Amino acid sequence: MTDPPGSPDTVRPVLDCARLARRFGERVAVDDVSLRIAPGETYGLLGPNGAGKTTTIRMVCGLLRPDAGTVRVADRPVSTAAGPAKQLIGFVPQDVALYPDLSVRENLRFFGRLYRLPRRRLDRRVDEVLDLIDLTARAGDRVDSLSGGMRRRLNIGAGLVHSPTLLVLDEPTVGVDPQSRHAILESVNRFGEEGMAVLYTTHYMEEAERLCDRVGIIDRGRLVAEGSPRELVRLVAERDRIRLTAAGGLSGYAEACRRLPRVEGLARGGDHGDVVELVVKDARSLLPDLLDLAHEQGVDIRSVEIDEPDLEAVFLHLTGTALRE
Amino acid sequence: MTALAVTRATLTRVLRDRTALFFMVLLPVAIIVVIGVTVRGFDQFRVGLVPDPRSGPVAQELAADLAKAPGLRTRSYADAADARTALRRAELDAVILMPAGLDESVRAGRSVTVRVLVEPSGSAGHAAVSSVSAVVADHAGRLQAARFATGQSGGTFDGNLALARGAERASSPVAVRAETVNGQSDYLPLGYSYSTPTMLVLFVFINALAGGAAIVQTRRTGVYARALAAPVPARALVAGETIAYLLLALLQSLLIVGIGALAFDVAWGDPLAAGVLVTVWALVGTGAGVLAGALFRTPEQVHAIGPALGIGLGMLGGCMWPLALVPGWLRTAGHAVPQAWAVDAWTTLLSRDGDLSSVARELTVLTAFAVALLTCASLALRHRLTTSPGA
Repeated sequence: MTDPPGSPDTVRPVLDCARLARRFGERVAVDDVSLRIAPGETYGLLGPNGAGKTTTIRMVCGLLRPDAGTVRVADRPVSTAAGPAKQLIGFVPQDVALYPDLSVRENLRFFGRLYRLPRRRLDRRVDEVLDLIDLTARAGDRVDSLSGGMRRRLNIGAGLVHSPTLLVLDEPTVGVDPQSRHAILESVNRFGEEGMAVLYTTHYMEEAERLCDRVGIIDRGRLVAEGSPRELVRLVAERDRIRLTAAGGLSGYAEACRRLPRVEGLARGGDHGDVVELVVKDARSLLPDLLDLAHEQGVDIRSVEIDEPDLEAVFLHLTGTALRE
Repeated sequence: MTALAVTRATLTRVLRDRTALFFMVLLPVAIIVVIGVTVRGFDQFRVGLVPDPRSGPVAQELAADLAKAPGLRTRSYADAADARTALRRAELDAVILMPAGLDESVRAGRSVTVRVLVEPSGSAGHAAVSSVSAVVADHAGRLQAARFATGQSGGTFDGNLALARGAERASSPVAVRAETVNGQSDYLPLGYSYSTPTMLVLFVFINALAGGAAIVQTRRTGVYARALAAPVPARALVAGETIAYLLLALLQSLLIVGIGALAFDVAWGDPLAAGVLVTVWALVGTGAGVLAGALFRTPEQVHAIGPALGIGLGMLGGCMWPLALVPGWLRTAGHAVPQAWAVDAWTTLLSRDGDLSSVARELTVLTAFAVALLTCASLALRHRLTTSPGA
C-alpha cells in the first residue's frame, strides 16, 4: 500500500493549468479553468457531453492552443510544439487510436518509438505493458482481430509505453462492456498507486467516485466545483435526491416542481421523459407536496426513490442539470 | 528517428496488404503484356507461307529468305485454304502463295509473280506487302545477276547463281533501316519497349495516388492526433509518410524496370539517365499521393477518384497511346500533365539512345512538378494535422 498522494498545494504539482480558455467561433468551450494535480493523484474531470472536458484535455496535451492561460507539466510549459513536456504526458484518446492492420506489439513499439525510447528499454517496456494490459498472449495478433474491450486496453497501453509522469485518459470506458470496464478501472487505480498522476475525464459519476482522489465538476466550459468526492458531497450534505418515475410525460409537472421552495436542482431523464430528479432539502417533508402536485396535474407516479447525497446530486445541485443529459 | 517510425509503420502496412501488392506488381505486369503484345504487331508482321509442293532449290531459297527477314514472322501452311482462313481470322497480316514451277520459269527466263493476299481492311497487311516485296526484290536481283552472267559469259545458271551469292556476301550491301516516324522525325519504341515504360509512368502515379487513401485512413483512426501529443512535430509525421511513399514508388519502379529487362527484353537506355528519371518520377507520384492524403476526406473518395484521375492523366500524357498519333492541339494539352514529359523522356532514352543531357529539359520540367506537388502536399498535410488532426 502506497502513501496517499499529497495535495498539489503542498507538493510541486505534476499538472498545473492556469486560467485556460478556448472559444470556437462564438461558442465558449472552456472558460477560465484552473486545476492542479499532484504526483500519484487521480483527478476526475466530471461533466456531461459538451461540457468542455475534451477541449481541456486537448489543451493539456498540447493538441490545441489555448486562447488564454497556461499549462505546465512538471514545471515545463506545454504548447502545440514538440516540447520536452510532451515526453512526460501519456495521452489516451476517447476513440481507439491505433493502426488496425498492425499487430498489438507493433502498435506499442510504434508509440514507444515516437517517444524515442532506446531499443532495449522499448523491448522491455513493451513486454511490461503487454503484461499490464493482459494482452501478452495476443501480442502478435492484428488489432482489427481483437475484441472491443481488448482494443480499449491496448489503447490505454499505448499511452503507457514511455512511462509517463502524467496519464491523461479521455472517457476511456465509453462503449465498453462491463467486464472490460472493470479491468480498465482496476488498471487506472493501479497507476495512481504507482505514483503516476492521472487526469481522467468521465461523465459516469460512479467512476469518478470510485477512482478519483479529487474531482472537478465542469459545466458549460467552467469548473464549477472542485474537491475530493467526500468534500463535494458535503456541499449537499443536508440535501436529498428524489427520483420520481411516472407513467407518461412530465414536462408540465417538472416545471411546477421547480417552483416549489425547497427544490434546488431539477433534471428530467428517462427514455421517454418519464423521470424527474430533484435535489431538495428534507425530502421526507417535501414528498407529500410533490405527490399532491402530481395528483393535481393528473400525473401517475409509479415509483419514488430517495437517495443519500452523491456526486450526481452535487452536479444536479451545482448545475441544475443531470450528468447524462 | 520519429519520422522513420512513421515510415516503418506505413511500409509494414502496405507491404502486408495483398490488394496493394496486386496493384503494385501484378496488374502493371499484366497490362504491360497486353499492350506490349498489341503494339508489337507494328514492327513484325505475321505472314503465312504456302509453298509449292514441287518446289526446287530457288523456291526453297526464297522461302528461307522470307523466314530470315527480320520484319517478318512466317508460318508455313500446307494448304492455301487454311492460310486464307487464318488471314480472315486476323491471325495473319498476309499470306504468300509461292508460285508453282518457280524454278523452271526462272531458268527459262520467264517472268514470275509472287502473290500476296491481304485483308482489305487491315493496314498491317499492306505494310507487310512492302516487307515481303523487299525480300522478293532482293532475291530477284540475285537471280537476274545469275541469268545475266549465264547469257553473257556462259556457264550454268546454278553455278552463276552461286557466284552471285558469293559476290553479294563479299560486297558491302546498301543498307536500308526502316524507322517509324512522326512529324518531328522522332521514332517511337514499339512492343514491350513502349508498354513497359509507359505503364511504369502510369502505375507508379496511380499507386501513389491510391496510397493517399492510407494517409486518410490513418488520419481518421486518430493515430496522427495521438502522435502529436508525443514530442513529435507535424513535419516529422509528414516527412515519415513522404519517405514511405517515395520508397514504395521507387520499389515499384525498380520491379517494373527489372521485370521489363528480364522478361520482356526492354533496354532501358543510359543507366544514369534512367535512374534519375525513375527517381524524379517517383517524387512526382509521391507528391501527388501525399497531396491526395491531405485533401480527401475519406478513403473511399481516394479509391473512387484517384485511379480515375491517374488513368485520365495517363491517357492525356501518352501512357495509353503515343502522343505522336493525336492531333497537335491534344499533344500540346497533354504536356500540361507530367506524364507526357516522363513518356517523352523514356522515348528519348529507349529509341534514340539518349543520355542525361538529351533528357535534361524533360527532367527539369518533371523536377518542377515534383517540387510543386511535394510542397503543396507537405503544407496541406501539415495544415490538416495541426488544425484537425483527427479529421
